[in-house]
Amino acid sequence: MHYPVWYLPEIGGGTLIALIAVFHVFISHFAVGGGLYLVLAEKKGLAEQSQAILDFTKRHARFFLLTTMVLGSISGVGIWFIIALVNPAATSYLIHNFVFGWAAEWVFFTVEIAAAFVYYYFFGRMESSTHLKVGYLYFFAAWMSLLLINGIIGVMLTPGAWAESSLFWQGFFNPSFWPSLFFRTCIAVLMAGCYGCLTAAWSDEEEVRVKMTRFSGIWSLVAMVAAIPCALWYVAVLPEQAQQLVTGKSPTVALALQYGLVAVILLLVLTLVTAILRPTLNNRPVALAAMLCAFVMLGSFEWTREAARRPYVINEVIYSNSIFKKDLESLNEKGFLKSALWVQHHEVTADNRMGAGHELYIQQCYSCHTLGAGNNDLAALTEKMSYPALVAYIGKMHTIRPFMPPFAGTDTEVRALSAFLAGEVHGKETVDVVAEAGDGLAAGKQLFEENCAACHAREDLSGAFAGKDVVGAGEMLSTLNEISDEMEPFGGTDEERNQLAGYLISESGGIVSTAGVDGGGVFDTHCSACHAVEDITEFTSGWDRAQIFTNLGRLPELVPEMPPFEGTETEREALADYIDGLKGGK
Amino acid sequence: MATILIPPADTLPVAWGWFQFLLLLTFPLHLLAMNAMLGGLILGVVAHLRGDEVERRLAHRIAVITPMLIALTVNLGVAPYLFLQVLYGQFIYTSSILMGIGWILVVPLLMFAYRGVYLYDFHFEKLGRLGLVIGGICAVIFLGIAAIFSHNMLLMGLPERFGEYFSHLDGSMLIASENSFPFRYLHMVLGALAMGGLAVALMGRFRAERDLELAEYSAKHGLRVFLGVTVINTVVGILYLLSLPRGQMLLFMGRDMGATIAFALGLLLTVGMLFTAWRGRLWMTIAHAVPLVVIMVFMRSWLRTGYLQKYYTLDQLQVVPQYSPMIFFFVILIFGLLCLGWLWKKSAEALAQT
Repeated sequence: MHYPVWYLPEIGGGTLIALIAVFHVFISHFAVGGGLYLVLAEKKGLAEQSQAILDFTKRHARFFLLTTMVLGSISGVGIWFIIALVNPAATSYLIHNFVFGWAAEWVFFTVEIAAAFVYYYFFGRMESSTHLKVGYLYFFAAWMSLLLINGIIGVMLTPGAWAESSLFWQGFFNPSFWPSLFFRTCIAVLMAGCYGCLTAAWSDEEEVRVKMTRFSGIWSLVAMVAAIPCALWYVAVLPEQAQQLVTGKSPTVALALQYGLVAVILLLVLTLVTAILRPTLNNRPVALAAMLCAFVMLGSFEWTREAARRPYVINEVIYSNSIFKKDLESLNEKGFLKSALWVQHHEVTADNRMGAGHELYIQQCYSCHTLGAGNNDLAALTEKMSYPALVAYIGKMHTIRPFMPPFAGTDTEVRALSAFLAGEVHGKETVDVVAEAGDGLAAGKQLFEENCAACHAREDLSGAFAGKDVVGAGEMLSTLNEISDEMEPFGGTDEERNQLAGYLISESGGIVSTAGVDGGGVFDTHCSACHAVEDITEFTSGWDRAQIFTNLGRLPELVPEMPPFEGTETEREALADYIDGLKGGK
Repeated sequence: MATILIPPADTLPVAWGWFQFLLLLTFPLHLLAMNAMLGGLILGVVAHLRGDEVERRLAHRIAVITPMLIALTVNLGVAPYLFLQVLYGQFIYTSSILMGIGWILVVPLLMFAYRGVYLYDFHFEKLGRLGLVIGGICAVIFLGIAAIFSHNMLLMGLPERFGEYFSHLDGSMLIASENSFPFRYLHMVLGALAMGGLAVALMGRFRAERDLELAEYSAKHGLRVFLGVTVINTVVGILYLLSLPRGQMLLFMGRDMGATIAFALGLLLTVGMLFTAWRGRLWMTIAHAVPLVVIMVFMRSWLRTGYLQKYYTLDQLQVVPQYSPMIFFFVILIFGLLCLGWLWKKSAEALAQT
């Protein structure tokens, strides 16, 4: 809210961060582990007095230099650029809090670069023991870079007491510092193994290829095994909400983890089979497949780690949409637009409602949701929601979906945002409607939109409520948490619960009182021109009441010659009751 | 009067002077590396184009060192960019977002050119004239990146134009029409070319024991380029000064004593280095040029202060003291310098042996 939003609704800033960040970590972990790999490969060559292995190591060093310098260091700068573009408030906060941590990391980055150049350009032109020391120095500097960055980005997920104190060392040695450091070190070693297999696959000499493939495979295997306890430790120190998110509470995280798990298993199989047991099987496609698995695995981990912070970008301090937690109360009181700097509408009026709503979307939703594009497309997510449903949902979305930030602003602003989404995006009505007293069905519909429509389309629930009466449906509504831990029991009054239950079963083939409507009369009006009562009784003999009701809604599908049922929903209910009654409810 | 959109600043862990000191210390190093890289590459490509044997060898030597200079430029750019964010984050983040498309393009462009330069280096002989094309494209890309940086550094000093954001939500804002922009850019690029000439001359000097002809040619050619381009750049510099808003221009003409003294010193050094370059005195020219770059950085800082002083001065920054991280950084810095010294020593020994 204090910074302008770089608004690319078709792409989304989050997508850009993810692309650059995953790419960077895939290289940067290699830049750490690969340094140690080079030294140990060189030592192996020297110990075995194998010129072939030394040549391999030099080739790998060249590949290493190109990859880490060109792709690694520049994509590292790229992350810096993109986070400042997409989330400037959080970036500024981190930079100001940890500036000397970043500065120290820069020193190690400098040593790392210098050592990498010396290592490559003096390969074979320097005394071996000195050359190895240069390699060790490189690895040490690279690992120290990892250590420093690990401390700073770790605080974003597990700030601990730093969230309150802002003390540098308290934040740096945050609760996940050590497990994350060990885990990332394992990943770095794993990356070194994978990249080693890749270079080996490009080797023309069979003996070197086999030897260095197995050597690299052992690196990968050891790293994968060592990573398991580190990962468990890592998860154990996460705050409760983050733990819930990474263990399946968030559907996107669950999906990312599934991909990651498949990638890990495939990588393990490839490592065991084509690198350790039968290294002769390692060739370019196999090595590239292993790299792809490693990439997906790392992407899954980074995605999960980022997602585990939700609804924050810096846990307990700044929400994903750059709003400081400490400002929330005041924003709710004064209004977001009044407090925000980079908006044109500082209050909502009848004339600017859509424009203000659009700005609220940009400021509060866009950081995670595109509009009409792939990443968490808000147009698709709200497609089935009406204006009242959005109004009700936005006000409490953080309780329904704890990984989302609360809306910051007044009720009027909630309505402006809802109006923008329902009206401007979906072309729906945006009028505040209050159900008339005594119209239970309309009240039930309104309750449905306020409480259910955010996640459920009406028709999707037909099966769940088919055959239920108000009492049965009401009981379900009171125990929604038993159906899914993502839902909470309906929290309205008894009367509201009955109204909602009545609405839900009214279109689900449930047992609704149709007093006042004569089912026989409906039959006469709509059916009797073509059907005798006996025929209908026989035809529907295998159906229960719910099926009769449902099938009345799809007559042309059953018999193409038949027109659709043209009566009202209540008449359909009454007709279903009537037909069901003809066969004694059997 | 329209509202000026400036985000609030975050607090600092130590007094702002420390960051200003670190910024002014590290930024000249970045500029020197960047000048040697950009100017050197352009001169290398031109030498390659002319195709004479010694010029081809010169182009090859430049191709070999350019990747290292890029690494150095990027690395030495990280520190000043960090300290700039600490002092002027609210401006640089905002301007970067306003021109987000161009700003993020720096990353792929740099990657592409960096890879291209390695290609030019590793396969110089094999590529032949194609290498020239690759080197040329890389040089053009670096000139483009320089334009993006100049644009952003100028935009961050113009908060009165931040309101144009509302017509450029997608980060497509351009202020190339701003009077001083072309002169600012040209002044920087010509400066890089001139310093590239010095870098080429210096590189030749280091090759003297192995290739005397190349060393003599490089020294002569490099100094000649330096001299010619600096003469032109002096004129461009004056035009740049005149293109500045009056308030900023007058800073260097008596309104601010420090800025005026720096400007006068800069002029003296310019005259001195033109003379030494004309006399073919490489080390003396370098001894003038390096302090001149430092002075230019100071003048640039005064200029930024001048642009922003209506809205912001550094003493407005609040400090919530935490000194131990800074001490930690200085300890690490000393350790890093020792490591670099050791690497330098071992490399020199290895070079001497071979």
